[in-house]
Amino acid sequence: MGSRAIAGERADAFPRIDRRSLVLGALAAPFVIGRAQAAESLKAYSIWPENYARPMLEAFEKASGIHVNFIRFSSGEALARLLAERGNPQVDVLFGGPVETFTAGEEQGIFEAYVPPSASDLPKRFKSAQGMWTAIADDPLVFMTNTKFLQEHNLQPPASWDDLLNPAYKSMLQMADARTSGTAVTRIFSILQVNNRNEDAGFAYMKKLRQNIQAYTKSGGGGTVPVGLGQAAGGIFFIVDALFTKQKGYDVQISFPKEGIGSAAECIGLVKGNKNGAAARKLIDWAASPDMQSLLAPSKINFLPAHPKVAPDPDLAAVLKQAKIIEIDDRWAGDNRKRIIDRWVAEVLNAG
Amino acid sequence: MAASVQTIAARSSVRPEAWLWRGGLLGIWLLLLIFIVYPLLMLFSRAFLDDGHLSLQALGAAISAPKNLRALGNSLLLAMMVGVAGTLLGLIFAFTVERVRSARRVSRLIDFFTFLPLISPPFTTSIAFVFSFGPRGLITYELLGIKNVQVYGLTSTFAAETLTYFPIAYLALRPMLASISTSLEEAAFSLGGSRWYAFRTVTLPLVIPALANAFLLLFGCSLADFATPLILAGSDFSVLPTEAYLQITGLFDLKSGAILSLLLLVPAGLVFYAQERVVAGRSYVTVTGKAGVLAQHDSVSGIAGAVLLGFCLLVSALIVYFYLLLFYASIVLAFGANHTLTLDHYRVIFSEGLPAIRDTLIIALIGMPLGGIYGITIGYLVGRTTFISRKAMEAVSMLNYALPGTIVGIAYLLAFNDEPLALTGTAAILIACYVFRYSPIGIRTTVALLQQIDRSMEEASASLGAGSLTTFRRIMLPLILPAFFAGLGVVFIRSMTAISATIFLVSINWTLITVKILENMTEVALGPAAAFSVFVIVVVVLVTSMLNVLLQRLTAPSLRVGKIGA
Repeated sequence: MGSRAIAGERADAFPRIDRRSLVLGALAAPFVIGRAQAAESLKAYSIWPENYARPMLEAFEKASGIHVNFIRFSSGEALARLLAERGNPQVDVLFGGPVETFTAGEEQGIFEAYVPPSASDLPKRFKSAQGMWTAIADDPLVFMTNTKFLQEHNLQPPASWDDLLNPAYKSMLQMADARTSGTAVTRIFSILQVNNRNEDAGFAYMKKLRQNIQAYTKSGGGGTVPVGLGQAAGGIFFIVDALFTKQKGYDVQISFPKEGIGSAAECIGLVKGNKNGAAARKLIDWAASPDMQSLLAPSKINFLPAHPKVAPDPDLAAVLKQAKIIEIDDRWAGDNRKRIIDRWVAEVLNAG
Repeated sequence: MAASVQTIAARSSVRPEAWLWRGGLLGIWLLLLIFIVYPLLMLFSRAFLDDGHLSLQALGAAISAPKNLRALGNSLLLAMMVGVAGTLLGLIFAFTVERVRSARRVSRLIDFFTFLPLISPPFTTSIAFVFSFGPRGLITYELLGIKNVQVYGLTSTFAAETLTYFPIAYLALRPMLASISTSLEEAAFSLGGSRWYAFRTVTLPLVIPALANAFLLLFGCSLADFATPLILAGSDFSVLPTEAYLQITGLFDLKSGAILSLLLLVPAGLVFYAQERVVAGRSYVTVTGKAGVLAQHDSVSGIAGAVLLGFCLLVSALIVYFYLLLFYASIVLAFGANHTLTLDHYRVIFSEGLPAIRDTLIIALIGMPLGGIYGITIGYLVGRTTFISRKAMEAVSMLNYALPGTIVGIAYLLAFNDEPLALTGTAAILIACYVFRYSPIGIRTTVALLQQIDRSMEEASASLGAGSLTTFRRIMLPLILPAFFAGLGVVFIRSMTAISATIFLVSINWTLITVKILENMTEVALGPAAAFSVFVIVVVVLVTSMLNVLLQRLTAPSLRVGKIGA
């Protein structure tokens, strides 16, 4: 850090030994202070928030003795990092996060193929054809609205996409920004899908919806607290975030459009150039299997299990009973992702 | 600056031994090249090179896009408003504390309250705004009964940034006002001038360099701030740093993100140049080594003083309210939903959050002295000595500060990911980022202070046979110690609270509290976010209080040298 050159000028300021040992000690400290490591460990970027990821990864450590050192990033950031670090990968696994992030990563070649044993039990939309990623959960979108706001404006919870165009919601809806958030991308593809992939119709709808947008948030859950507080009237969120908001005690309504709404597979993938491959593969095996996914319901984490042998939490299933979940073809979404986001940025985001 | 023939002669005589001088300069330039120039070159090459060919196509496209021009316009408007309002607010506070007699009793209190925004992690003011204003805001709705009001947009962003950054102006202006001997104002009074006349013609011109300095700092802060607009700007007020941040983090589009931020270089450069013009050509020497006289008059009348003090206390009360809100959010289960008291959030941050706390503290404590030394060294070099690359050094040392943090972070990531300088994943990259990004405040303060110190002090020392090192140590160092401690404090505070650059540099091995706060806020976990913020504030208050005690102990006898007989 060049403190030597600077300290040299002040050589006569303090007793020599004291000063030098002080500076050296301070400089060395961060490199020397040991970090406790389990016998076996691996590193991961988690797109799942810590609330959801930590209980799972701690359970994995208990089951396998492997410590997972992880840090959380939203999907865009995690992907940007993996791309920037390609020459010198810092982690072994990308854990959690919507499938569109993984297809984008697959395209950029940041993953190494690994197919866990459970993959054979999964339907096609829950695994990469090349084995680059595997689903560990499923996460439908929902409409979430503030109960008091609805009462004050004599509104029912929105039950159709067109309900969100009601002028009562003018500048009162918050949803995620498609540049950063997987939630937003899933939302946009849902809108295109319910418009029978007629892009002009879908974008015409989004432009109308733009009138009612108060803020586009960086992350998918960014709008949940403002909606809970009543500073915003509502928005479109993943069910895991919406139910979590409700569990916290915020008075919000969850509803679904009758035309249908999309769902994102939450995935895991092995990072190319990983340094703890054996441990990483064990984590992937575990996360893709009922071993992890059967823990979701008891932990009150409202992802739907991806593995067909694990039953969803009854309360979650009850909420979803009224829902019409439509399938978004990840091939179609992956191929058109960049073009659609660019169009959204140009025609919707910047139209205000 | 008044550079007479005499001082030029004196200057060459105070030059240190040639080898040390050259070696030191070379070393500093090496640091600047590695940690400021090289990352930016990597960034430029990413922005302007297409398969090895220089291409300005992307730049042209970025400049001609109306949305980018609108974002640039918004950024400039916001920075200008924050710069002007924040400087004005800072001046009012500094003047009140230094010149209003009745304010002296509460000056410590005012100091503390104005300090809070400065030492808070990002997002805390924004979150307090989201709680307080808007259709269900505690102030607008619960208190005033206003319903049709939005918390998102220019007004909130401007107000939040001004309240967050004005203490920087206060910190920059107060030592300046303190160092202006009241005997000068006294002279104006004794010549029959009114108080307002004295303020306008004596005090104000003397603080102009500091005002320009403060404006530049605030303008830069606002221009680079992505966190406040990220929460408060809403969908209709886009600003460049946030756009660049989203472009980079979301679309993995380093190229256009880089170009967007580079657009900010132009206004940052212009403000820097304007500031140079304002300061140049005037003499601001007030510490002359000559005897002063005791103040006989108050600088302001009783009524004006009471109004000023009342205003300062009102603003302070608003700030206190924000922080009480923050504290309250940290001790209830879920703010706005479940107000059962709990210590759960603190338990969480001291168990799951402990690694982040430990990492942040280690990084801040190492960065602090390095930043302080770096700040006064460069400040002294560019403010008091002459060498061929002096102007260049000053400009380069400001770069990482003037640039939006997003771009510095990405530049570091690109530069230090691979050999020969593979620093990603280490603490060194975070420390370097903080030191080179936040020390310019120490540099600026040093330069501004030096402008107030007459060269006759050094000449006197030299004429008594002292070498240049001795002169620096015995004469200049004590006089610029306040700048050293200001630099020290700022680097520590920013190490505890900044996010925009380092969000790209945290790693599995080294993470930061601020990044945890951002995570928590997007996870419907306001409680831990608030608890982390409270913890940061407590730590910073403790450390900076210790710094202040140290400053008083170290400077009191030395400053007497400069104010003989006072």
